[in-house]
Amino acid sequence: MARPGVRPYTGILFVLPFLLPFALFSLWPLLCNLWLSLMDYFLAERATAWNGFANYVALTESDYFIRGLKNSLLFLLTVPALQIGALGLALLVRRALPGAGWFRTMYYLPVVVAVSVVAVAWRYVFQYDGLLNSMLDWSHLWPGADMDWLGRPQFALYAAMIFAVWKNVGYYMVLYLAGLQAVPRALHDAALLDGAGFWQRLRHVTLPALQPVILLCTLLATMGALKTFQEVLVLTGGGSDTITLLMFVYGAAFHGQSFGLAAAAAVVMMIICFAVAAVQFRYFGQKGIWGKEV
Amino acid sequence: MSTEQLALNLPAAVQTRRIRLGALALPLHYAALLLCALLMTFPFLWALAVGLSKDPSGIWRFPQAFWPRDPGWYWFGRVLNEIPFFTYVGNSLLLSLCTVLATLLLAIPAGYALAHMEFPGRRWLFGLLLATLMVPMEIGVVPNFLTLSQLGWLGTYGAAMLPNIASAFGVFMMKQYFEALPADALEAARVDGANEWQVMWRIAVPMSWPAVTTLAIFTFVSAWNDYLWPSVVLSDRMKMPLAVGIFHDLTGPFATSTSLVLAAVVLAALPVLLCFVFTQRWLLAGVMDSRA
Repeated sequence: MARPGVRPYTGILFVLPFLLPFALFSLWPLLCNLWLSLMDYFLAERATAWNGFANYVALTESDYFIRGLKNSLLFLLTVPALQIGALGLALLVRRALPGAGWFRTMYYLPVVVAVSVVAVAWRYVFQYDGLLNSMLDWSHLWPGADMDWLGRPQFALYAAMIFAVWKNVGYYMVLYLAGLQAVPRALHDAALLDGAGFWQRLRHVTLPALQPVILLCTLLATMGALKTFQEVLVLTGGGSDTITLLMFVYGAAFHGQSFGLAAAAAVVMMIICFAVAAVQFRYFGQKGIWGKEV
Repeated sequence: MSTEQLALNLPAAVQTRRIRLGALALPLHYAALLLCALLMTFPFLWALAVGLSKDPSGIWRFPQAFWPRDPGWYWFGRVLNEIPFFTYVGNSLLLSLCTVLATLLLAIPAGYALAHMEFPGRRWLFGLLLATLMVPMEIGVVPNFLTLSQLGWLGTYGAAMLPNIASAFGVFMMKQYFEALPADALEAARVDGANEWQVMWRIAVPMSWPAVTTLAIFTFVSAWNDYLWPSVVLSDRMKMPLAVGIFHDLTGPFATSTSLVLAAVVLAALPVLLCFVFTQRWLLAGVMDSRA
């Protein structure tokens, strides 16, 4: 909407202070990764040399990278788990019961505390003489439980997923709560009157109305899952077959000193992100979440 | 039954159905709420109980572990003695507040321009913002490290802040909110001779207070909790923010005593938890505002 008296460059002036750091620290890295991924980078001389696709070939031959890729993709299991958990919690705290506000606050608490702080506590929950085993023992589900949840490759990654869901479910709960407010009351009442049960109303009234929120939440959760780093770093340090893509990038760059290899892995990660986002847009539709189209 | 009768009976029917369901489900509902609350808070409660137990012999036994044995501040005292806790908190505060301020100063004008102005490249900018929202920032860790080392800024707070202040998410949020403002109010100010800069700061921003506070709180919390980037650029322990410093301490020399570690976890979580409990009214209201 052009305003009379507003010159075109006024808009540019408004955007410029944002645009400079945005271009340098958000856009440039994407291009730079592409470029670096085709190079050998010599840290000491700050020199680069074209090496064709050697970095990508090295990736396919790297056991760590393959495992990181597999684990990061496995971590996508948290996306549906988060949606179901968050929607469930949102439905639970939606009604204005006495104390509902307190419950919302409690469910949100894990979101505001740093991963590097709470995950340390979870490490003691999961360890072989830890709280989880003690709970299993006490509940008689598994008397004398002594599983080292973080030390066994079969379980460690899933333990990290449980932690990730616990940590983030409150965030999506709030987004779903916001979405639930937009579900028309009249539709609900009409469905009730027609004798629709809870699940039928959920399936035919609530979920269709929530579609934009579901898209937003699955997008955010997917990105969260693909960039898993700290959850695993704190819980297992990358042992027990839990290394992730971003851990590989970090390790290759700052421990292995091979920035080209790290950049190639980052490019692979970027492609996966875009691909998954494209699938989600196609699946859940584009309408609504970014507001008015430009 | 005629249509009129049906219409008359409609609210009553809905009402009875609701009451019947409610009466059946209320105790169950609270039981579910309580169970979830326990699930979401037990690590904090356990860490608190362990931190308060001077005698650590019972900390692994469920459910006694949730009740402090021989309660006292012993472990908290040791944490404060052995970890430069307040230095970390100060660093975190400085870093987070500067990040919030810079983010707001950049995102507000950009969001306003996208919402209310026409300028060349506007569609392009919008598309680029969308694209960067699809990939996590952490992908840029290597190029950003190289850029900042080229600038010679490694080890400074500027380096720890800069990549985080250009928030595409923030611009989106402000744009959405500014778009929804009543056009009349902005137009009236223009008619009175205000220029766009004045319209934005004097009219649009005060009317968008929920979005501004939400963005501020979100940015604050994520800056406060950020680990990866600050740990890459900051190497001096006395410059580290809480999330980085305490993690290094907890996984290093202090890992020998569980009580010490969990007391430190409680102390480290406390500032942000308190901050949240005091601001949650605005935070949750802002998130739940359908426009934001």
